[in-house]
Amino acid sequence: MIHDIAVLGGGPAGMAAATEAAHGGARVVLLEESPAPGGQVYRAAPPGFHAKPDPDRRAGDALRAALTKTGAELRTGCRVWGLGGGPLVPEGQAHAPFSLSALGADGVPFTLQARALILCCGTHERIIPFPGWTLPGVIGLAAATILLKAQGILPGRRVVVAGAGPLLYAVAAKILAGGGSVAAVVDAATQGEWLRALPALAARPDLLTQGIAWRAKLLASRVPVLAGAQVTAAEGDKVLTHVRVGDRIFAADALCVGHGLVPATEASRTYRARHAHRPEDGGWVPVLDAAQRTSVPFLYAAGDGTGVRGAAAAPAAGRLAARTALQDLGFNTANAPEEDAALARARRTGAAMARMMALRPAMIQAIPAETIICRCEGVTRAAIEDAAAAGAGTINQLKHFTRCGMGPCQGRMCGEAAGALLSSARGVSVADVGFTTGRIPLRPVPMEAILGDFDYADIPVPAPAPI
Amino acid sequence: MSLRIPQIACPAPVTITVEGQPVAAHPGESLAAALIAAGLWRFGEGEDPARPRTAFCMMGVCQQCLLRLDGRLVQACLTPVAAGQEVTCA
Repeated sequence: MIHDIAVLGGGPAGMAAATEAAHGGARVVLLEESPAPGGQVYRAAPPGFHAKPDPDRRAGDALRAALTKTGAELRTGCRVWGLGGGPLVPEGQAHAPFSLSALGADGVPFTLQARALILCCGTHERIIPFPGWTLPGVIGLAAATILLKAQGILPGRRVVVAGAGPLLYAVAAKILAGGGSVAAVVDAATQGEWLRALPALAARPDLLTQGIAWRAKLLASRVPVLAGAQVTAAEGDKVLTHVRVGDRIFAADALCVGHGLVPATEASRTYRARHAHRPEDGGWVPVLDAAQRTSVPFLYAAGDGTGVRGAAAAPAAGRLAARTALQDLGFNTANAPEEDAALARARRTGAAMARMMALRPAMIQAIPAETIICRCEGVTRAAIEDAAAAGAGTINQLKHFTRCGMGPCQGRMCGEAAGALLSSARGVSVADVGFTTGRIPLRPVPMEAILGDFDYADIPVPAPAPI
Repeated sequence: MSLRIPQIACPAPVTITVEGQPVAAHPGESLAAALIAAGLWRFGEGEDPARPRTAFCMMGVCQQCLLRLDGRLVQACLTPVAAGQEVTCA
């Protein structure tokens, strides 16, 4: 059986895309890594966990309910590792249906085929390395959000919150509300940057009000807010005990740190779609037409994975991608509704926040030589610069020289810092050092999932050549 | 002081064992969350003491939180707790 449309990723864009595609009469399947659709911002709590519903929970529940009602096939808790078909066929052959291989929630491998594929893979967090960032007790800001909102757990009793963007204040306020204490907020952005972002923030009065409430809570709790500052070191013996910010030292049992969001492009890179480097969108993004088509026929992308605009703007992009896919497959679809003003405002605010969360070159330059950049393979800044001096001119070559990005995270955590370090060592732009070639498996999988069921007896042995 | 936020209701705790020691955890929460709540930030030594196993991204990306669950290699942040699980270092 071939599906008409497969949607990879069940965040706000993916849920809306699958819902729209199913309404259009297509046979739809949605694949999602988490146990339930939702994505990071609208993440569903585990069964039996109940908190006071907030606007995010309500928005997520509405998208989930609409999706469930369509009867679209949902494959949650599955790990998609293999991509094939589409343009990945021997030269000269016609475009094939897309095939997606995954390990199911039950541990059983499966492969699905679809005529069209919509990528809604979201983002992961950018964390620019600093001394001690590999110490247990140091986690991402998005990680802290998951702990606080979905799991109901404080990252620590006394926490330093550091990095850039609105998540900083959201996490600090949530820690206080949950009964923890915040030792300091260390904001990479200066007050001037926030002031310049204000007009765009004012387009979403709800968010602005929320932001002001977060700041007021910090003020009332006498939390020091250090603007235009960054963590210089995380310290401790076996686990984090102190966070150093210049000359100031804060005792802390957790450090939540994040420097923005990076679009997850491994699937579009694997299909060899065209990409462009747009720092203001979060980094490398697939090049799309106005209707969400990538450069590969029948391959579409939507949501933050195509440029960071936030969860509020993602569903509309997902719906548009689904309508385009339906049209391209020959389904009759109603004309697209006019994009409403609320969405335009969400996009404007999202863009302002994305600019604040863009890669900060000064932060890259501040990394000491012996700091580990690639934590899977233990590659330091000095090793990257040695490779650059020895002739590594692209991120793929850097990988060959040093194994940077070759470990189980496949460069998702280190790729941005490594690219920026390589580009500055070579005196070229980040765009010129390129991105790592997309390769399967997209995620680590056990060998038996890739091999499938076979016996040695099944291996064809050619008859010996006649003498 | 517990790290669990009192305003969030969750199912009654069960017992899992972590490196042979009993740990109370709530079914459905991730193994990573349960270990953090129990004060066990360091999940294992890994290959290099400079980069031990620990929770870091909590969303399945970084692969730093690998553990063995009943002998099978899993990402602690994506694996829900269930009664009787035996967790060891990877």
